[in-house]
Amino acid sequence: MVDLSQYTLTCALIPFIPLIGFLINGIGFRHIPKGLVGLTGSAASILSFGLSLYLFNAFLAGGNQSFTVYLFDWITVGDLRISFSFLIDQLSLLMLLIITGVGSLIHIYSIGYMKHDAGYGKFFAFLNLFLFSMLLLVMGSNYPIMFIGWEGVGLCSYLLIGFWNKNTNYNNAARKAFIMNRIGDLGFLLGIFLIFYTLGSVEFTEVMPKAATVFGVDDGTVIAITLLLFVGAMGKSAQIPLYTWLPDAMAGPTPVSALIHAATMVTAGIYMVIRSNVLYTLAPTTLGVVAVIGLATALLAATIGIFQNDIKKVLAYSTVSQLGYMFLGLGVAAYSSAMFHVITHAFFKALLFLGAGSVIHAMSDEQDIRRMGGLRRHLPVTFATFLVATIAIAGIPPFSGFFSKDEILMHVYEHSPVMWVLAVIGSMMTSFYMFRLLFLTFAGTFRGTHEQEHHLHESPASMTIPLLVLAILSAAGGVLGLPEVLGGGNWLAKFMSPLFDLSRQVRPESFTQTHLSHSQEYILMGVSVAAALLALGAAAVLYVSRKAVPAPEGTRLPALQNLIYNKYYVDEFYNNIIVKPLLALGDFLYGVFEFLVIDLIVNGVGKATNGLSGVFRRFQTGNIGFYIISMVVGIIVILLINLRGFIL
Amino acid sequence: MQQYLPSDYLPIIVQLVLALGFVATTMLATNYIIPKIFRNRVHGKVKDDTWECGIEPQGDARTPISIKYFLTAILFVLFDVEIIFLYPWAVNFRSLGWLGFAEMIVFMTLLMAGFFYVIRKGVLNWD
Amino acid sequence: MFYSVVLLSIFGILNLFLGFLKSRAWLLPVTLLFLATALVVTLTDWNKSLFFWNYMMSTDNVSVAFATIIIVSAMLILPLSRFYFPNAAAPVPEYYAILLFSVVGAILMVTYENIIMLFLGLETLSIAMYILAGSDKRNPRSHEAALKYFLMGAFATGILLFGVAMLYGATGTFNLSGLAQYVRTTLVNGASPMLYLGLTLVLIGILFKLSVAPFHFWTPDVYDGTPTLFTAFMATVVKTAGFAALYKILSVSFTGIYSVWWITLAATSVLTLLIGNITAVYQQSFKRMLAYSSISHAGYLLIAVTAMGQTSQSSILFYSLAYTLATITSFAVLILVNENRAGESFSAFNGLARHNPFLAFALTVAMCSLAGIPLTGGFFGKFYIFINALEKGLLFLLVVAVLMSAVGIYYYFRVVIAMYMRGSDDNAVADRIIVPKSYAAVLAITTFLTILLGVAPDLLVRYF
Repeated sequence: MVDLSQYTLTCALIPFIPLIGFLINGIGFRHIPKGLVGLTGSAASILSFGLSLYLFNAFLAGGNQSFTVYLFDWITVGDLRISFSFLIDQLSLLMLLIITGVGSLIHIYSIGYMKHDAGYGKFFAFLNLFLFSMLLLVMGSNYPIMFIGWEGVGLCSYLLIGFWNKNTNYNNAARKAFIMNRIGDLGFLLGIFLIFYTLGSVEFTEVMPKAATVFGVDDGTVIAITLLLFVGAMGKSAQIPLYTWLPDAMAGPTPVSALIHAATMVTAGIYMVIRSNVLYTLAPTTLGVVAVIGLATALLAATIGIFQNDIKKVLAYSTVSQLGYMFLGLGVAAYSSAMFHVITHAFFKALLFLGAGSVIHAMSDEQDIRRMGGLRRHLPVTFATFLVATIAIAGIPPFSGFFSKDEILMHVYEHSPVMWVLAVIGSMMTSFYMFRLLFLTFAGTFRGTHEQEHHLHESPASMTIPLLVLAILSAAGGVLGLPEVLGGGNWLAKFMSPLFDLSRQVRPESFTQTHLSHSQEYILMGVSVAAALLALGAAAVLYVSRKAVPAPEGTRLPALQNLIYNKYYVDEFYNNIIVKPLLALGDFLYGVFEFLVIDLIVNGVGKATNGLSGVFRRFQTGNIGFYIISMVVGIIVILLINLRGFIL
Repeated sequence: MQQYLPSDYLPIIVQLVLALGFVATTMLATNYIIPKIFRNRVHGKVKDDTWECGIEPQGDARTPISIKYFLTAILFVLFDVEIIFLYPWAVNFRSLGWLGFAEMIVFMTLLMAGFFYVIRKGVLNWD
Repeated sequence: MFYSVVLLSIFGILNLFLGFLKSRAWLLPVTLLFLATALVVTLTDWNKSLFFWNYMMSTDNVSVAFATIIIVSAMLILPLSRFYFPNAAAPVPEYYAILLFSVVGAILMVTYENIIMLFLGLETLSIAMYILAGSDKRNPRSHEAALKYFLMGAFATGILLFGVAMLYGATGTFNLSGLAQYVRTTLVNGASPMLYLGLTLVLIGILFKLSVAPFHFWTPDVYDGTPTLFTAFMATVVKTAGFAALYKILSVSFTGIYSVWWITLAATSVLTLLIGNITAVYQQSFKRMLAYSSISHAGYLLIAVTAMGQTSQSSILFYSLAYTLATITSFAVLILVNENRAGESFSAFNGLARHNPFLAFALTVAMCSLAGIPLTGGFFGKFYIFINALEKGLLFLLVVAVLMSAVGIYYYFRVVIAMYMRGSDDNAVADRIIVPKSYAAVLAITTFLTILLGVAPDLLVRYF
């Protein structure tokens, strides 16, 4: 055993450095010079990253021994003691590195991207606050701390989506995100309550062993718990039916979309499922639900992505779709594969968003790809990095996306070949819409206005350097989990394997070694690569050779295409099914309370006592009589209830 | 303690019914029955007028009255009630002894403080 | 506690005479000093269990804590009066004296041992509030508030007193311990209708003061019409004292007949939560919304009383404190906005964040706390209460409360949205509000404490 006490301070500092950054920028954003604001914000993030690296090394040196860092007692209610403590293990360390690493790059990028914005200080303050919450989320050693981080990132996301708060649409988007997340949070909270209720603890290290002994496989309670937790994950990670907020969330500044709505926050749901993997393994029924919802989300979002014309919307739907793949992976109990995809996705999706940001920056805030084209010449670095990311997400070897997606697909195939076919179709669509985006943006001739063309320029170094770093990571990230057939050792799966020891014990059959032969694996890979290349070819023919450009707004589209272009009218559906009836109900209740009760009943009572009213009206407004009468009715009812034993 | 049975409350219920019955009967009678019998003799210009001992009524009875009357009246009630406490004290003066005396001094001090406040506020100034 | 009651009464009278001085500059500091003295005196009773005045009052740590909350909230509300009365002729010393007297009443309500003292305290507090409700003499709405409060309050008082008489008739004693004795020994032989009737009526009398549905009708009108400064006092001190009183009588005397009263409390708390929260959604005035919010918080607190158990006293304490702090913040900001922008509606808050980030931040923290968002005191207040309900097995109450707290977020965040997301279209409105130092200090303290309670709730809870 290694002595762990020396790491307490390190662990405490990792989340609290960004908090300090937030305080500095948040309190003093009117007084701190602009140059210092970006520096403080980025330095906080980079320092955290450095400490995370240090902790990671110490962890490896210490023989992969997970440990808990206890800070102080936080809540005490009767027998329940919840401590403020951090759990450091393989999972939290990986998440730490992603969050602080990608976070640092995005902070640096934001220095350039947000330079001219009035709310520069506020922006960095919020970013740091987000980092703090996200770090709490992944480091917390129990569900309540995780929930705090969970709420915190939701709040930051809300604040940052509505960052340009002069625009009503943006505010509505922020509110939508907040409300949808609250629906999910309610599920999450109820799940935590249920865990506490049945297991008497909320510490991960206590809940999991207890669950393994208390619950049988597919016990009703454990299904309820996992489903409730999954509702939380649906909200945060934008799965059907709670996904519509994520595309709208693109109203926020692009670095925010990269950090929160692509690389980190939206993967919180996946993190939570992996963290609770014992519970999920115990509930195969829930896993089935997770897989189906993940697959459905992946396909639905991919089809919508094909017809979007806003560069960020395409990426947003692609994120929803990729998250679907991750949940699909979780659903077939391929936890480490899902995590692998989280990591590679963080790299290439952050890169895509930052690249898109660079394009938008160059295009003077134009986001419609129908007015772009031919940007390759003007933005060479952006183009090159964007290309790398596109290849990575499309699943073409040897870039990272291929390996992670393929690992998930392989597990899916073992689980159910039908799902595999659907997933491959989905990845084909992914490849198609990503290359469509790439070609429409960078290939061909410029379709924007002259002013925009005149203004085209490559972004400053603070923006391109993060792009380059991310491009290298996107290209080489696959090394982490190089599968055995290709001569790798799948380091990631081995590294994470201790996390699933308990799951393996409770249901060994879900962790059996792969029974696929090497040639079968080759065939599977071949098929998915071929599908991706086919889609690439189709996109190339359509958008490069034939120079097709999507129809402008207002053109009549074929019915099916129109349906998809309008995102299957899901928003309208929610509006009609949920929002409008609620409003109607509200109006109705309002009417009943204010009109019916006060006007009718009071007036009725008034008429009934017409003779007396001449005397009493002077002392009473219409309302107070009603007040007292309802009080009297209440008193009589309560008396009847309490004295029922004597009356009856 | 003696236990009461629910039937012991019967007289109360009888009285309640009688009381409510009287109110209801009177209200119904004055509103519905009497007008039917005396058709034209219930309402009328003269009948609805304020009764003023035969003198023609003049103006509204609710004329504003100066706050000073109310203040004086309420102060009178206040001090009157407080002074009443002196009687039992005086009767038991001997048995209460010095402690009782001290307590009464405290009481009177508070009362006098209030009196002083009233005077300083000018409540008793008539003009 | 004995001495703080005596001291505060004398201080109140002294305050009246301070009004005769020419300069009013000393008035506020001296009154604050009075309250601080009373606070120190109160705290000396910590860890003692005492009876005063022939078993009229009794103190323990819980009552000391409630008294502390009451005095501290008075101390936080008083500085807000600094610029609240622009009219030089306003009888400010009298207002302060009445506030001190009402604090005396509130302390009696948390320390009573004899039900007569409960009645005295409740009346002292209520009569003071009737006067303050009508203190804005030129405003008809203030008159309306005072009259409505008085009429309905008198009605409730009558019922309370009738209940007290019934209790005495049934048991022959006014003392809480005597009542407990009766419930433990005599009542075993058979139920007593008179005791049940008395208990129910006393409960109703207290529930009225707490604005629990269906006895809540006065609350919106009275809160709305009362000058905002005194509304803040009403919403915090009266509520804290009332819940302390309710908890005390039920926990000391009537735990033996839990089955009799819990249905009443459970039913009224459900009703209160529903009415308070749902009606609050449609309010256009921030002040009126706060009134309905105060009703709904009474519902949450009632859950803790209903789930009477080991930890409910600390839950009630914690919730009262968190609620008090957030409410004071809200009313303080409301006063400033109302005076500078002339409006109590949500739209008066438009764009506040741009011009007064501090005010907007303080109000946001307060709203988060009232809505029960984590990292604020209100979250743990709700959390502890929910845990109580869970331990007692009151699942349906828990479900209603969780659903209604979700509704709460909607209306609490309306003002946050207005502050951060709406621009103010009127240029005259856009002017920066100059925050007086006294307001800034109060807001800083309440906001800091709200966050502190949300980060480290154990600081408070470990003592109970």
